Amino acid sequence: MSTREKIVANLRVIRTVFVVFFKMLAVDLFIIFTVLIQPLLIALLAIYMNRERASEVAIYLIVGSGMTGLWSGLLFTSSFAIRGERWFGTLEMLVGAPTHLGVIMLGKTLAHVTLSLSSMIFGYIMAALVFRFPLVIIDPLGFLVSLLFTVVAFISFGLVIAPFFAISPAVEGWVNALEFPVYVVGGFLFPILILPQWATPLSYALAPYWAAQALHLTSSGAGSVYPNFPLWHDWVMLLLFSVLYLFLSRWLFAKVIRRAKVEATLGLQ
Amino acid sequence: MNAVEIENLRRVYRATIGTFRRSIKEVVAVDNISLAVQPGELFGLLGPNGAGKTTTVKMLTTLLIPTGGTARILGYDIVRQADQVRPIIGFIFGGERGLYWRLSGRDNLQYFADLYRVEPRVAKKRIPHLLELVGLKGRDDEKVEGYSRGMRQRLHIARALLHDPQVLFLDEPTLGLDPVGARELRSMIRDLSTQGKTILLTTHYMFEADALCERIAVINHGRIIALDTPAGLKRYAQDLSVVEVEVFGIEDNALEQIRALPAVEAVSVENQDQRQVVLVQSSHGSAVMQPLMEILAGMRVGKVVVREPTLEDAYVRLVGGEKGIAQVD
Repeated sequence: MSTREKIVANLRVIRTVFVVFFKMLAVDLFIIFTVLIQPLLIALLAIYMNRERASEVAIYLIVGSGMTGLWSGLLFTSSFAIRGERWFGTLEMLVGAPTHLGVIMLGKTLAHVTLSLSSMIFGYIMAALVFRFPLVIIDPLGFLVSLLFTVVAFISFGLVIAPFFAISPAVEGWVNALEFPVYVVGGFLFPILILPQWATPLSYALAPYWAAQALHLTSSGAGSVYPNFPLWHDWVMLLLFSVLYLFLSRWLFAKVIRRAKVEATLGLQ
Repeated sequence: MNAVEIENLRRVYRATIGTFRRSIKEVVAVDNISLAVQPGELFGLLGPNGAGKTTTVKMLTTLLIPTGGTARILGYDIVRQADQVRPIIGFIFGGERGLYWRLSGRDNLQYFADLYRVEPRVAKKRIPHLLELVGLKGRDDEKVEGYSRGMRQRLHIARALLHDPQVLFLDEPTLGLDPVGARELRSMIRDLSTQGKTILLTTHYMFEADALCERIAVINHGRIIALDTPAGLKRYAQDLSVVEVEVFGIEDNALEQIRALPAVEAVSVENQDQRQVVLVQSSHGSAVMQPLMEILAGMRVGKVVVREPTLEDAYVRLVGGEKGIAQVD
Protein backbone atom coordinates (compact mmCIF):
# COMPACT_ATOMS: atom_id res chain seq x y z
CA MET A 1 0.00 0.00 0.00
CA SER A 2 1.48 3.37 -1.06
CA THR A 3 1.71 6.36 1.29
CA ARG A 4 -1.06 8.13 -0.62
CA GLU A 5 -3.34 5.12 -0.34
CA LYS A 6 -2.58 4.90 3.38
CA ILE A 7 -3.47 8.57 3.88
CA VAL A 8 -6.74 8.13 1.97
CA ALA A 9 -7.54 4.98 3.99
CA ASN A 10 -6.77 6.79 7.26
CA LEU A 11 -8.98 9.75 6.29
CA ARG A 12 -11.76 7.27 5.53
CA VAL A 13 -11.30 5.71 8.99
CA ILE A 14 -11.42 9.15 10.65
CA ARG A 15 -14.65 9.97 8.81
CA THR A 16 -16.29 6.64 9.65
CA VAL A 17 -15.24 6.73 13.31
CA PHE A 18 -16.39 10.37 13.56
CA VAL A 19 -19.86 9.58 12.17
CA VAL A 20 -20.33 6.44 14.30
CA PHE A 21 -19.24 8.04 17.57
CA PHE A 22 -20.94 11.37 16.97
CA LYS A 23 -24.23 9.49 16.63
CA MET A 24 -23.50 7.46 19.77
CA LEU A 25 -22.51 10.51 21.84
CA ALA A 26 -25.40 12.65 20.64
CA VAL A 27 -27.89 10.32 22.35
CA ASP A 28 -25.80 9.71 25.48
CA LEU A 29 -27.54 11.37 28.45
CA PHE A 30 -24.31 11.83 30.42
CA ILE A 31 -22.73 13.68 27.48
CA ILE A 32 -25.85 15.77 26.94
CA PHE A 33 -25.69 16.82 30.60
CA THR A 34 -21.93 17.51 30.47
CA VAL A 35 -21.86 19.59 27.30
CA LEU A 36 -25.28 21.26 27.39
CA ILE A 37 -26.90 21.34 30.82
CA GLN A 38 -23.87 21.79 33.07
CA PRO A 39 -22.37 24.76 31.12
CA LEU A 40 -25.79 26.37 31.07
CA LEU A 41 -26.09 26.05 34.85
CA ILE A 42 -22.58 27.48 35.22
CA ALA A 43 -23.48 30.39 32.91
CA LEU A 44 -26.69 31.11 34.84
CA LEU A 45 -24.82 31.02 38.14
CA ALA A 46 -22.03 33.28 36.83
CA ILE A 47 -24.57 35.76 35.39
CA TYR A 48 -26.46 35.80 38.69
CA MET A 49 -23.21 36.46 40.62
CA ASN A 50 -22.48 39.36 38.26
CA ARG A 51 -26.10 40.53 38.03
CA GLU A 52 -25.19 44.23 38.62
CA ARG A 53 -23.34 44.34 35.31
CA ALA A 54 -24.71 41.18 33.69
CA SER A 55 -25.37 42.77 30.29
CA GLU A 56 -21.75 43.98 30.06
CA VAL A 57 -20.12 40.66 30.93
CA ALA A 58 -22.69 38.30 29.42
CA ILE A 59 -20.64 37.43 26.32
CA TYR A 60 -17.56 36.82 28.49
CA LEU A 61 -19.52 34.45 30.70
CA ILE A 62 -21.22 32.69 27.79
CA VAL A 63 -17.86 32.07 26.07
CA GLY A 64 -16.34 31.04 29.42
CA SER A 65 -19.12 28.62 30.30
CA GLY A 66 -18.92 27.25 26.75
CA MET A 67 -15.24 26.60 27.44
CA THR A 68 -16.20 24.66 30.58
CA GLY A 69 -18.47 22.46 28.46
CA LEU A 70 -15.73 22.04 25.87
CA TRP A 71 -13.19 21.03 28.54
CA SER A 72 -15.53 18.73 30.54
CA GLY A 73 -16.77 17.04 27.36
CA LEU A 74 -13.21 16.54 26.14
CA LEU A 75 -11.94 15.29 29.50
CA PHE A 76 -14.70 12.74 30.08
CA THR A 77 -15.06 11.47 26.52
CA SER A 78 -11.33 11.32 25.72
CA SER A 79 -10.40 9.71 29.02
CA PHE A 80 -13.02 7.05 28.26
CA ALA A 81 -12.01 6.68 24.60
CA ILE A 82 -9.63 3.74 25.11
CA ARG A 83 -11.06 2.56 28.42
CA GLY A 84 -14.49 2.38 26.77
CA GLU A 85 -13.19 0.13 24.00
CA ARG A 86 -11.68 -2.11 26.68
CA TRP A 87 -15.04 -2.08 28.45
CA PHE A 88 -16.92 -3.14 25.29
CA GLY A 89 -14.30 -5.77 24.46
CA THR A 90 -13.47 -4.07 21.18
CA LEU A 91 -9.96 -2.86 22.05
CA GLU A 92 -8.36 -6.11 20.88
CA MET A 93 -10.23 -5.84 17.58
CA LEU A 94 -8.93 -2.29 17.08
CA VAL A 95 -5.32 -3.02 18.05
CA GLY A 96 -5.40 -6.14 15.87
CA ALA A 97 -6.52 -4.13 12.81
CA PRO A 98 -4.04 -2.62 10.33
CA THR A 99 -5.12 0.96 11.18
CA HIS A 100 -3.11 2.60 13.97
CA LEU A 101 -5.09 3.06 17.18
CA GLY A 102 -4.15 6.77 17.19
CA VAL A 103 -5.99 7.30 13.88
CA ILE A 104 -9.13 5.69 15.30
CA MET A 105 -8.86 7.84 18.43
CA LEU A 106 -8.45 10.94 16.24
CA GLY A 107 -11.85 10.25 14.70
CA LYS A 108 -13.36 9.76 18.15
CA THR A 109 -11.78 12.93 19.57
CA LEU A 110 -12.99 14.91 16.58
CA ALA A 111 -16.52 13.70 17.37
CA HIS A 112 -16.10 14.63 21.05
CA VAL A 113 -14.82 18.15 20.32
CA THR A 114 -17.45 18.83 17.65
CA LEU A 115 -20.21 17.82 20.05
CA SER A 116 -18.65 19.78 22.92
CA LEU A 117 -18.59 22.92 20.75
CA SER A 118 -22.35 22.82 20.74
CA SER A 119 -22.31 23.89 24.40
CA MET A 120 -20.97 27.31 23.40
CA ILE A 121 -23.53 27.68 20.61
CA PHE A 122 -26.35 26.47 22.89
CA GLY A 123 -25.28 28.89 25.65
CA TYR A 124 -25.13 31.78 23.17
CA ILE A 125 -28.61 31.04 21.82
CA MET A 126 -30.07 30.69 25.33
CA ALA A 127 -28.53 33.95 26.54
CA ALA A 128 -29.59 35.88 23.44
CA LEU A 129 -33.10 34.49 23.07
CA VAL A 130 -34.17 33.66 26.61
CA PHE A 131 -32.36 36.31 28.67
CA ARG A 132 -32.15 38.91 25.86
CA PHE A 133 -28.58 39.95 26.62
CA PRO A 134 -26.82 42.00 23.94
CA LEU A 135 -24.31 39.43 22.71
CA VAL A 136 -21.95 41.20 20.34
CA ILE A 137 -18.71 39.56 19.26
CA ILE A 138 -16.26 42.42 18.72
CA ASP A 139 -14.03 40.55 16.22
CA PRO A 140 -16.08 37.83 14.51
CA LEU A 141 -13.33 36.80 12.08
CA GLY A 142 -10.71 36.69 14.85
CA PHE A 143 -13.18 34.73 16.98
CA LEU A 144 -13.69 32.14 14.23
CA VAL A 145 -9.94 31.74 13.67
CA SER A 146 -9.44 31.44 17.45
CA LEU A 147 -12.18 28.83 17.57
CA LEU A 148 -10.47 26.86 14.79
CA PHE A 149 -7.12 26.90 16.64
CA THR A 150 -8.96 25.97 19.84
CA VAL A 151 -10.53 22.95 18.15
CA VAL A 152 -7.13 21.82 16.80
CA ALA A 153 -5.50 22.26 20.23
CA PHE A 154 -8.33 20.47 22.04
CA ILE A 155 -8.27 17.55 19.59
CA SER A 156 -4.52 17.13 20.10
CA PHE A 157 -5.01 17.48 23.86
CA GLY A 158 -7.71 14.78 23.65
CA LEU A 159 -5.17 12.54 21.92
CA VAL A 160 -2.92 12.93 24.97
CA ILE A 161 -5.73 12.36 27.45
CA ALA A 162 -6.94 9.13 25.76
CA PRO A 163 -3.73 7.08 26.13
CA PHE A 164 -2.75 8.77 29.42
CA PHE A 165 -5.84 7.51 31.21
CA ALA A 166 -5.42 4.04 29.72
CA ILE A 167 -1.92 3.58 31.13
CA SER A 168 -3.06 2.15 34.41
CA PRO A 169 -6.25 1.76 36.43
CA ALA A 170 -4.53 3.83 39.14
CA VAL A 171 -4.72 7.05 37.08
CA GLU A 172 -8.36 6.54 36.00
CA GLY A 173 -9.64 8.15 39.19
CA TRP A 174 -7.86 11.40 38.36
CA VAL A 175 -10.41 12.27 35.68
CA ASN A 176 -12.96 13.79 38.04
CA ALA A 177 -10.27 15.67 39.96
CA LEU A 178 -9.09 17.44 36.79
CA GLU A 179 -12.41 18.95 35.73
CA PHE A 180 -12.80 22.03 37.94
CA PRO A 181 -9.12 23.01 38.46
CA VAL A 182 -8.76 23.59 34.71
CA TYR A 183 -11.85 25.86 34.74
CA VAL A 184 -9.93 27.98 37.25
CA VAL A 185 -6.34 27.92 35.94
CA GLY A 186 -7.64 28.12 32.36
CA GLY A 187 -9.23 31.50 33.13
CA PHE A 188 -12.53 30.40 31.62
CA LEU A 189 -14.88 32.44 33.84
CA PHE A 190 -12.57 35.01 35.41
CA PRO A 191 -9.06 36.32 34.66
CA ILE A 192 -6.15 34.42 36.19
CA LEU A 193 -4.89 37.74 37.59
CA ILE A 194 -7.00 37.13 40.66
CA LEU A 195 -5.22 33.83 41.32
CA PRO A 196 -2.02 33.64 43.40
CA GLN A 197 1.07 34.30 41.34
CA TRP A 198 2.41 30.75 41.72
CA ALA A 199 -0.62 29.45 39.84
CA THR A 200 0.06 31.36 36.61
CA PRO A 201 2.80 29.00 35.29
CA LEU A 202 0.21 26.22 35.50
CA SER A 203 -2.10 28.27 33.30
CA TYR A 204 0.62 28.99 30.76
CA ALA A 205 1.37 25.25 30.48
CA LEU A 206 -2.17 24.43 29.34
CA ALA A 207 -3.59 24.95 25.85
CA PRO A 208 -7.11 25.60 27.29
CA TYR A 209 -5.74 28.80 28.90
CA TRP A 210 -4.46 30.17 25.55
CA ALA A 211 -7.73 29.12 23.92
CA ALA A 212 -9.72 30.99 26.57
CA GLN A 213 -7.51 34.05 26.10
CA ALA A 214 -7.97 34.12 22.33
CA LEU A 215 -11.72 33.53 22.52
CA HIS A 216 -12.29 36.13 25.26
CA LEU A 217 -10.11 38.69 23.49
CA THR A 218 -11.98 38.36 20.19
CA SER A 219 -15.46 38.13 21.74
CA SER A 220 -15.48 40.66 24.60
CA GLY A 221 -11.99 42.20 24.38
CA ALA A 222 -11.25 41.09 27.92
CA GLY A 223 -8.81 38.39 27.10
CA SER A 224 -5.27 39.07 28.09
CA VAL A 225 -3.81 39.64 31.52
CA TYR A 226 -1.27 41.95 29.88
CA PRO A 227 -2.22 45.18 28.14
CA ASN A 228 -1.93 44.99 24.36
CA PHE A 229 -0.94 41.33 24.38
CA PRO A 230 -1.32 40.56 20.67
CA LEU A 231 -3.88 38.01 19.61
CA TRP A 232 -1.45 36.21 17.30
CA HIS A 233 0.66 35.31 20.36
CA ASP A 234 -2.30 33.28 21.65
CA TRP A 235 -2.65 31.60 18.25
CA VAL A 236 1.06 30.76 18.11
CA MET A 237 0.88 29.30 21.61
CA LEU A 238 -2.16 27.21 20.61
CA LEU A 239 -0.35 25.87 17.54
CA LEU A 240 2.82 25.15 19.54
CA PHE A 241 0.82 23.25 22.13
CA SER A 242 -1.00 21.34 19.39
CA VAL A 243 2.32 20.17 17.92
CA LEU A 244 3.71 19.34 21.37
CA TYR A 245 0.59 17.38 22.31
CA LEU A 246 0.72 15.42 19.03
CA PHE A 247 4.32 14.32 19.73
CA LEU A 248 3.42 13.46 23.32
CA SER A 249 0.37 11.57 22.14
CA ARG A 250 2.39 9.50 19.65
CA TRP A 251 4.80 8.52 22.42
CA LEU A 252 1.98 7.73 24.85
CA PHE A 253 0.09 5.58 22.32
CA ALA A 254 3.23 3.52 21.58
CA LYS A 255 3.84 3.13 25.33
CA VAL A 256 0.23 2.19 26.14
CA ILE A 257 -0.07 -0.38 23.35
CA ARG A 258 3.31 -1.95 24.15
CA ARG A 259 2.52 -2.09 27.86
CA ALA A 260 -0.92 -3.63 27.25
CA LYS A 261 0.64 -6.29 25.02
CA VAL A 262 3.28 -7.08 27.63
CA GLU A 263 0.92 -7.05 30.60
CA ALA A 264 -1.90 -8.74 28.69
CA THR A 265 -4.47 -6.08 29.54
CA LEU A 266 -5.93 -5.48 26.06
CA GLY A 267 -8.72 -7.99 26.57
CA LEU A 268 -9.48 -7.08 30.18
CA GLN A 269 -12.79 -5.47 31.03
CA MET B 1 6.87 -21.51 3.25
CA ASN B 2 4.73 -22.47 6.23
CA ALA B 3 1.62 -20.41 6.92
CA VAL B 4 2.31 -20.43 10.65
CA GLU B 5 5.68 -21.26 12.14
CA ILE B 6 6.26 -21.31 15.86
CA GLU B 7 9.66 -21.88 17.47
CA ASN B 8 10.08 -22.26 21.23
CA LEU B 9 7.29 -19.78 21.92
CA ARG B 10 6.96 -18.93 25.58
CA ARG B 11 4.73 -16.61 27.54
CA VAL B 12 4.93 -15.90 31.25
CA TYR B 13 2.32 -13.83 33.09
CA ARG B 14 3.29 -11.87 36.16
CA ALA B 15 0.71 -11.26 38.86
CA THR B 16 1.14 -9.10 41.93
CA ILE B 17 0.05 -10.69 45.19
CA GLY B 18 -0.63 -8.91 48.48
CA THR B 19 -1.60 -5.34 49.38
CA PHE B 20 1.29 -3.97 51.46
CA ARG B 21 3.86 -6.71 51.17
CA ARG B 22 3.70 -7.24 47.48
CA SER B 23 5.28 -10.16 45.74
CA ILE B 24 5.25 -11.18 42.11
CA LYS B 25 4.01 -14.58 41.09
CA GLU B 26 4.95 -15.93 37.68
CA VAL B 27 2.64 -18.22 35.74
CA VAL B 28 3.95 -19.97 32.64
CA ALA B 29 1.02 -19.98 30.21
CA VAL B 30 2.89 -21.17 27.13
CA ASP B 31 6.06 -23.17 27.64
CA ASN B 32 8.43 -23.46 24.66
CA ILE B 33 5.99 -24.69 22.04
CA SER B 34 7.04 -25.31 18.45
CA LEU B 35 4.87 -26.26 15.51
CA ALA B 36 4.26 -25.47 11.85
CA VAL B 37 0.96 -25.14 9.96
CA GLN B 38 0.96 -25.68 6.20
CA PRO B 39 -0.81 -23.25 3.85
CA GLY B 40 -4.45 -24.29 3.43
CA GLU B 41 -4.35 -26.62 6.44
CA LEU B 42 -7.07 -26.74 9.10
CA PHE B 43 -5.02 -27.21 12.22
CA GLY B 44 -6.42 -27.77 15.69
CA LEU B 45 -5.06 -26.76 19.05
CA LEU B 46 -6.87 -28.96 21.54
CA GLY B 47 -6.60 -28.62 25.28
CA PRO B 48 -8.51 -28.06 28.51
CA ASN B 49 -9.32 -24.60 29.90
CA GLY B 50 -6.16 -22.77 30.94
CA ALA B 51 -3.93 -24.96 28.78
CA GLY B 52 -2.46 -21.97 26.90
CA LYS B 53 -4.54 -22.09 23.69
CA THR B 54 -5.86 -18.52 23.82
CA THR B 55 -2.49 -17.14 24.90
CA THR B 56 -0.88 -18.81 21.87
CA VAL B 57 -3.50 -17.36 19.52
CA LYS B 58 -3.18 -13.89 21.04
CA MET B 59 0.57 -13.94 20.49
CA LEU B 60 0.10 -15.10 16.89
CA THR B 61 -2.43 -12.32 16.25
CA THR B 62 0.06 -9.70 17.55
CA LEU B 63 -2.06 -8.90 20.62
CA LEU B 64 0.45 -10.24 23.13
CA ILE B 65 4.21 -10.01 23.14
CA PRO B 66 5.91 -13.36 23.77
CA THR B 67 8.30 -13.70 26.69
CA GLY B 68 10.55 -15.86 24.53
CA GLY B 69 10.83 -17.66 21.20
CA THR B 70 9.61 -16.56 17.79
CA ALA B 71 6.66 -17.04 15.47
CA ARG B 72 6.09 -16.11 11.85
CA ILE B 73 2.91 -15.80 9.82
CA LEU B 74 3.62 -16.35 6.11
CA GLY B 75 7.21 -15.41 6.85
CA TYR B 76 6.50 -12.23 8.86
CA ASP B 77 7.68 -12.06 12.46
CA ILE B 78 4.77 -11.46 14.84
CA VAL B 79 6.67 -8.87 16.91
CA ARG B 80 9.09 -7.12 14.56
CA GLN B 81 6.78 -7.20 11.53
CA ALA B 82 3.40 -6.93 13.28
CA ASP B 83 2.29 -4.24 10.77
CA GLN B 84 2.75 -6.74 7.93
CA VAL B 85 1.06 -9.55 9.86
CA ARG B 86 -2.19 -7.73 10.74
CA PRO B 87 -3.54 -7.23 7.18
CA ILE B 88 -3.07 -10.91 6.27
CA ILE B 89 -4.73 -12.48 9.29
CA GLY B 90 -8.26 -12.60 10.62
CA PHE B 91 -9.22 -13.68 14.11
CA ILE B 92 -12.22 -14.34 16.27
CA PHE B 93 -12.36 -15.08 19.95
CA GLY B 94 -15.15 -17.05 21.58
CA GLY B 95 -17.80 -15.06 23.39
CA GLU B 96 -20.04 -12.15 22.60
CA ARG B 97 -17.77 -9.18 23.20
CA GLY B 98 -15.86 -7.32 20.53
CA LEU B 99 -18.78 -5.81 18.63
CA TYR B 100 -20.56 -2.47 18.93
CA TRP B 101 -23.93 -3.49 20.31
CA ARG B 102 -25.61 -0.16 19.60
CA LEU B 103 -24.79 -0.45 15.91
CA SER B 104 -26.47 -2.73 13.41
CA GLY B 105 -24.70 -5.81 12.09
CA ARG B 106 -24.15 -4.07 8.76
CA ASP B 107 -22.75 -0.91 10.41
CA ASN B 108 -20.35 -3.04 12.44
CA LEU B 109 -19.05 -4.63 9.26
CA GLN B 110 -18.80 -1.27 7.49
CA TYR B 111 -16.85 0.14 10.44
CA PHE B 112 -14.37 -2.75 10.54
CA ALA B 113 -14.06 -2.77 6.72
CA ASP B 114 -12.66 0.77 6.94
CA LEU B 115 -10.36 -0.20 9.81
CA TYR B 116 -9.06 -3.08 7.69
CA ARG B 117 -8.56 -0.70 4.74
CA VAL B 118 -10.97 -2.51 2.45
CA GLU B 119 -11.65 -0.39 -0.65
CA PRO B 120 -15.21 1.02 -0.46
CA ARG B 121 -16.23 -0.51 -3.81
CA VAL B 122 -14.96 -3.92 -2.62
CA ALA B 123 -16.65 -3.53 0.78
CA LYS B 124 -19.92 -2.61 -0.93
CA LYS B 125 -20.01 -6.01 -2.66
CA ARG B 126 -18.36 -8.07 0.06
CA ILE B 127 -20.49 -7.02 3.05
CA PRO B 128 -23.83 -8.28 1.60
CA HIS B 129 -22.06 -11.44 0.43
CA LEU B 130 -20.64 -12.10 3.91
CA LEU B 131 -23.97 -11.35 5.58
CA GLU B 132 -25.54 -13.96 3.35
CA LEU B 133 -22.70 -16.40 3.99
CA VAL B 134 -23.14 -16.21 7.77
CA GLY B 135 -26.92 -16.29 7.54
CA LEU B 136 -27.60 -12.76 8.77
CA LYS B 137 -29.24 -11.44 5.61
CA GLY B 138 -32.53 -9.84 6.56
CA ARG B 139 -31.39 -9.17 10.14
CA ASP B 140 -28.40 -6.99 9.17
CA ASP B 141 -30.11 -3.66 9.87
CA GLU B 142 -31.05 -4.65 13.43
CA LYS B 143 -28.89 -3.56 16.34
CA VAL B 144 -26.42 -6.18 17.56
CA GLU B 145 -27.85 -5.91 21.09
CA GLY B 146 -30.92 -7.75 19.77
CA TYR B 147 -28.89 -10.60 18.26
CA SER B 148 -28.63 -14.06 19.82
CA ARG B 149 -25.23 -15.36 20.89
CA GLY B 150 -25.00 -17.48 17.76
CA MET B 151 -25.81 -14.51 15.51
CA ARG B 152 -23.09 -12.43 17.19
CA GLN B 153 -20.60 -15.23 16.72
CA ARG B 154 -21.53 -15.48 13.05
CA LEU B 155 -21.14 -11.71 12.73
CA HIS B 156 -17.65 -12.12 14.20
CA ILE B 157 -16.87 -14.63 11.44
CA ALA B 158 -18.05 -12.12 8.83
CA ARG B 159 -15.90 -9.42 10.48
CA ALA B 160 -12.85 -11.66 10.39
CA LEU B 161 -13.37 -12.33 6.66
CA LEU B 162 -13.91 -8.71 5.59
CA HIS B 163 -10.39 -8.22 4.27
CA ASP B 164 -10.16 -11.73 2.80
CA PRO B 165 -7.29 -12.85 5.08
CA GLN B 166 -5.01 -15.72 4.15
CA VAL B 167 -4.75 -17.08 7.68
CA LEU B 168 -7.64 -17.36 10.14
CA PHE B 169 -7.36 -17.83 13.88
CA LEU B 170 -10.56 -19.15 15.46
CA ASP B 171 -10.35 -19.31 19.22
CA GLU B 172 -13.12 -21.55 20.59
CA PRO B 173 -15.62 -20.26 18.01
CA THR B 174 -18.46 -22.56 19.09
CA LEU B 175 -18.14 -21.76 22.79
CA GLY B 176 -21.58 -21.28 24.33
CA LEU B 177 -23.51 -21.91 21.13
CA ASP B 178 -26.52 -24.20 21.05
CA PRO B 179 -26.02 -27.51 19.17
CA VAL B 180 -27.66 -26.28 15.96
CA GLY B 181 -25.67 -23.01 15.96
CA ALA B 182 -22.45 -24.88 16.66
CA ARG B 183 -23.12 -27.33 13.84
CA GLU B 184 -23.79 -24.48 11.39
CA LEU B 185 -20.59 -22.76 12.44
CA ARG B 186 -18.56 -25.96 12.01
CA SER B 187 -20.00 -26.37 8.54
CA MET B 188 -18.98 -22.77 7.76
CA ILE B 189 -15.43 -23.44 9.01
CA ARG B 190 -15.24 -26.52 6.79
CA ASP B 191 -16.36 -24.43 3.78
CA LEU B 192 -13.69 -21.82 4.51
CA SER B 193 -11.09 -24.54 4.64
CA THR B 194 -12.17 -25.91 1.27
CA GLN B 195 -11.76 -22.39 -0.12
CA GLY B 196 -8.06 -22.66 0.70
CA LYS B 197 -7.85 -20.60 3.90
CA THR B 198 -5.28 -21.63 6.46
CA ILE B 199 -7.16 -22.07 9.73
CA LEU B 200 -5.82 -22.49 13.22
CA LEU B 201 -8.71 -23.57 15.41
CA THR B 202 -8.57 -23.88 19.17
CA THR B 203 -11.15 -25.95 20.97
CA HIS B 204 -11.67 -28.13 23.97
CA TYR B 205 -14.32 -30.20 22.23
CA MET B 206 -12.74 -33.45 21.01
CA PHE B 207 -15.45 -34.25 18.48
CA GLU B 208 -15.05 -30.79 16.96
CA ALA B 209 -11.31 -31.23 16.51
CA ASP B 210 -11.88 -34.76 15.20
CA ALA B 211 -14.53 -33.65 12.72
CA LEU B 212 -12.73 -30.58 11.39
CA CYS B 213 -8.97 -30.75 11.75
CA GLU B 214 -6.40 -32.37 9.53
CA ARG B 215 -3.84 -32.33 12.34
CA ILE B 216 -4.23 -31.66 16.03
CA ALA B 217 -1.75 -30.50 18.66
CA VAL B 218 -2.83 -31.41 22.19
CA ILE B 219 -1.72 -28.73 24.60
CA ASN B 220 -1.73 -28.91 28.39
CA HIS B 221 -0.02 -26.72 31.01
CA GLY B 222 1.43 -24.66 28.15
CA ARG B 223 3.22 -27.59 26.53
CA ILE B 224 2.39 -29.57 23.41
CA ILE B 225 2.04 -33.15 24.58
CA ALA B 226 1.04 -34.71 21.26
CA LEU B 227 0.80 -33.64 17.63
CA ASP B 228 -0.71 -35.90 15.02
CA THR B 229 -3.68 -36.50 12.74
CA PRO B 230 -6.93 -37.44 14.54
CA ALA B 231 -6.36 -41.08 13.51
CA GLY B 232 -2.78 -40.91 14.77
CA LEU B 233 -3.89 -39.47 18.11
CA LYS B 234 -6.43 -42.25 18.57
CA ARG B 235 -3.53 -44.70 18.60
CA TYR B 236 -2.48 -43.19 21.94
CA ALA B 237 -5.41 -45.05 23.45
CA GLN B 238 -5.23 -48.18 21.30
CA ASP B 239 -4.11 -50.46 24.13
CA LEU B 240 -6.91 -49.29 26.41
CA SER B 241 -10.40 -50.51 26.96
CA VAL B 242 -13.00 -48.11 28.19
CA VAL B 243 -15.83 -48.84 30.59
CA GLU B 244 -18.64 -46.30 30.46
CA VAL B 245 -20.95 -46.33 33.49
CA GLU B 246 -24.06 -44.20 33.87
CA VAL B 247 -24.51 -43.21 37.54
CA PHE B 248 -26.90 -40.91 39.37
CA GLY B 249 -25.13 -38.80 42.02
CA ILE B 250 -21.66 -40.28 42.36
CA GLU B 251 -19.56 -39.04 45.30
CA ASP B 252 -15.97 -37.82 45.03
CA ASN B 253 -14.66 -40.54 47.34
CA ALA B 254 -16.12 -43.22 45.05
CA LEU B 255 -14.24 -41.67 42.13
CA GLU B 256 -11.05 -41.70 44.21
CA GLN B 257 -11.58 -45.40 44.94
CA ILE B 258 -12.05 -46.15 41.23
CA ARG B 259 -8.94 -44.18 40.40
CA ALA B 260 -6.98 -46.22 42.94
CA LEU B 261 -7.84 -49.57 41.32
CA PRO B 262 -4.69 -51.26 39.99
CA ALA B 263 -5.65 -51.58 36.32
CA VAL B 264 -7.17 -48.10 35.99
CA GLU B 265 -5.22 -45.58 33.93
CA ALA B 266 -7.56 -42.59 34.03
CA VAL B 267 -11.06 -41.66 35.11
CA SER B 268 -13.20 -38.91 33.68
CA VAL B 269 -16.69 -37.69 34.50
CA GLU B 270 -19.20 -36.26 32.09
CA ASN B 271 -22.03 -34.38 33.80
CA GLN B 272 -25.35 -34.74 32.00
CA ASP B 273 -28.14 -33.04 33.99
CA GLN B 274 -28.76 -35.24 37.05
CA ARG B 275 -26.67 -38.18 35.88
CA GLN B 276 -22.97 -38.62 35.42
CA VAL B 277 -21.21 -40.79 32.89
CA VAL B 278 -18.04 -42.17 34.42
CA LEU B 279 -15.42 -43.20 31.86
CA VAL B 280 -12.85 -45.59 33.22
CA GLN B 281 -9.82 -46.26 31.06
CA SER B 282 -8.03 -49.44 31.90
CA SER B 283 -5.41 -51.66 30.39
CA HIS B 284 -7.53 -54.73 31.35
CA GLY B 285 -11.16 -53.98 30.63
CA SER B 286 -12.71 -57.10 32.10
CA ALA B 287 -10.45 -57.21 35.17
CA VAL B 288 -11.63 -53.78 36.32
CA MET B 289 -15.31 -54.61 36.00
CA GLN B 290 -15.85 -56.52 39.22
CA PRO B 291 -14.09 -54.12 41.64
CA LEU B 292 -15.72 -51.18 39.82
CA MET B 293 -19.22 -52.57 40.37
CA GLU B 294 -18.35 -53.26 44.01
CA ILE B 295 -17.50 -49.59 44.53
CA LEU B 296 -20.72 -48.53 42.83
CA ALA B 297 -22.84 -50.95 44.84
CA GLY B 298 -25.66 -49.09 46.57
CA MET B 299 -25.71 -46.32 43.97
CA ARG B 300 -28.28 -46.00 41.23
CA VAL B 301 -26.47 -47.30 38.15
CA GLY B 302 -27.81 -47.06 34.59
CA LYS B 303 -26.16 -48.35 31.42
CA VAL B 304 -22.75 -50.05 31.59
CA VAL B 305 -20.85 -50.31 28.29
CA VAL B 306 -17.38 -51.61 27.44
CA ARG B 307 -16.22 -50.02 24.19
CA GLU B 308 -13.29 -49.29 21.87
CA PRO B 309 -11.20 -46.17 22.62
CA THR B 310 -11.97 -42.92 20.77
CA LEU B 311 -10.11 -39.63 20.28
CA GLU B 312 -11.70 -38.47 23.50
CA ASP B 313 -10.09 -41.38 25.33
CA ALA B 314 -6.74 -40.54 23.80
CA TYR B 315 -7.26 -36.94 24.92
CA VAL B 316 -8.22 -37.99 28.45
CA ARG B 317 -5.18 -40.22 28.63
CA LEU B 318 -2.93 -37.39 27.42
CA VAL B 319 -4.46 -34.54 29.38
CA GLY B 320 -5.81 -36.41 32.42
CA GLY B 321 -2.37 -37.82 33.01
CA GLU B 322 -1.64 -41.03 34.77
CA LYS B 323 -4.51 -41.98 37.06
CA GLY B 324 -5.97 -38.51 36.85
CA ILE B 325 -9.63 -37.53 37.03
CA ALA B 326 -10.63 -35.24 34.19
CA GLN B 327 -13.84 -33.27 33.75
CA VAL B 328 -15.02 -33.58 30.18
CA ASP B 329 -17.41 -31.17 28.44
